[in-house]
Amino acid sequence: MQMVSGRTSTRGSMNTTQTDAAEHAAELLASIAETRSRAAFSELFRHFAPKLQSYATRQFGNEQTAMDLVQETMTNVWHKAHLFKPDKGSPSTWIFTIARNIRFDLLRKNKKRKDDISADELWPILSEQNDSLDDGYSLDNDVLMQEISQYYAQLPDAQRIVIEKIYIEGKSQQEVSDALGVPLGTIKSRTRLALKKLKELIVNDD
Amino acid sequence: MMIKSHPGEALLYQYAAGDLSAAMTIVVGTHIDMCKACRRTVCDIEQKLCEDNLDTIVNVANQAMTKSQCDKMLEAIFESSVCNKVENEPNDILYLEGRRFTLPRTLAHNSHRIGDWSKLVGKLWRAPLTLENGNQTNLIYMAPGAKVPEHTHKGQEATLVLDGVFNDEKDEYKDGDFVLLDPSKTHTPETQEQDCLTLATLDAPLHFTSGISRLLNPFSSLFFRA
Ligand SMILES: [Zn+2]
Repeated sequence: MQMVSGRTSTRGSMNTTQTDAAEHAAELLASIAETRSRAAFSELFRHFAPKLQSYATRQFGNEQTAMDLVQETMTNVWHKAHLFKPDKGSPSTWIFTIARNIRFDLLRKNKKRKDDISADELWPILSEQNDSLDDGYSLDNDVLMQEISQYYAQLPDAQRIVIEKIYIEGKSQQEVSDALGVPLGTIKSRTRLALKKLKELIVNDD
Repeated sequence: MMIKSHPGEALLYQYAAGDLSAAMTIVVGTHIDMCKACRRTVCDIEQKLCEDNLDTIVNVANQAMTKSQCDKMLEAIFESSVCNKVENEPNDILYLEGRRFTLPRTLAHNSHRIGDWSKLVGKLWRAPLTLENGNQTNLIYMAPGAKVPEHTHKGQEATLVLDGVFNDEKDEYKDGDFVLLDPSKTHTPETQEQDCLTLATLDAPLHFTSGISRLLNPFSSLFFRA
């Protein structure tokens, strides 16, 4: 018999292992972007290639096309790692959207004409042009300040510390990164995950 | 301003999974540019799709990549050069009939695909958006007091209001409103005092055998709050 205490969230809940894995992947992406680290990329590759292969095999039912998707997706990850934004989503979601785009183009490969639109034009996730729409994860500030204290205790320590420094001490993410000696990308993903968790707690509570 | 008419959740799923035609993708994508609520929903859907399609998958493929395949692919990736496709400079300004419109991001990125404007019957203007073979996507500009002749559609017609307001028999549609028209009904859009710029496509979702969105539909209500 099992006792379950507390609430289980039906969506977006992440356990510590997943959070750690996401942070680690974000760090790997940062080393790829900053130092072109082949070791970091190889590690990322060994983690994601089998998953992408499995996704692609189910999509195409064709081994060769599936391998093409894996290779094209991971080639983009290698060259475009600097375009990953840790505050916008997890590394695996970013990689999934790249694969989604590659799939879109592969499905049209045979009937595609020269000027036909490509997935990158429809979902410009790999665009170098920096036109930012504000992201969807900003919380209303008043709500945040009033209610946040009640929910602090429920955050993992690593995330709570980051949130305190940013929202109570008013530090920038870069300053928090320097103060804790933790990469900026990690701070950004901790902020995002913490805000998301808080938002779930707030929404679930009413 | 409140957008009151949004793409349904199933359509947002198909959009995020890449299962819609290019034409429908650009209309839904442009709505998402204009609509913060749908932008958030799509972020959630992408995460959910990723969880179901990548995160939770532990080697179900029969022929998982061998070590030598991995090494070979890694080598090929390291050897590859950056393929920087020439990106067309986004242009978000559109001049028409003495009016100046600002285009949302997805359209601005594809402004080079907007063809020449031609005058249709009455007070209507049309410019085709060249996306892919067989597509029928157009920018339609209705001057004040314009009326589209009554028509029906075989496929699914999606219309997005970019700027202005138009009416049909049922309702009034304003900036950002996304309208899917019932193919079995006739409809007669018209403008009154204000003009209206819309993006419209005639289309039907593609039939892919994969159907990840089909698999997901039963669960969607579990993790979406209204
Ligand atoms: Zn919307």
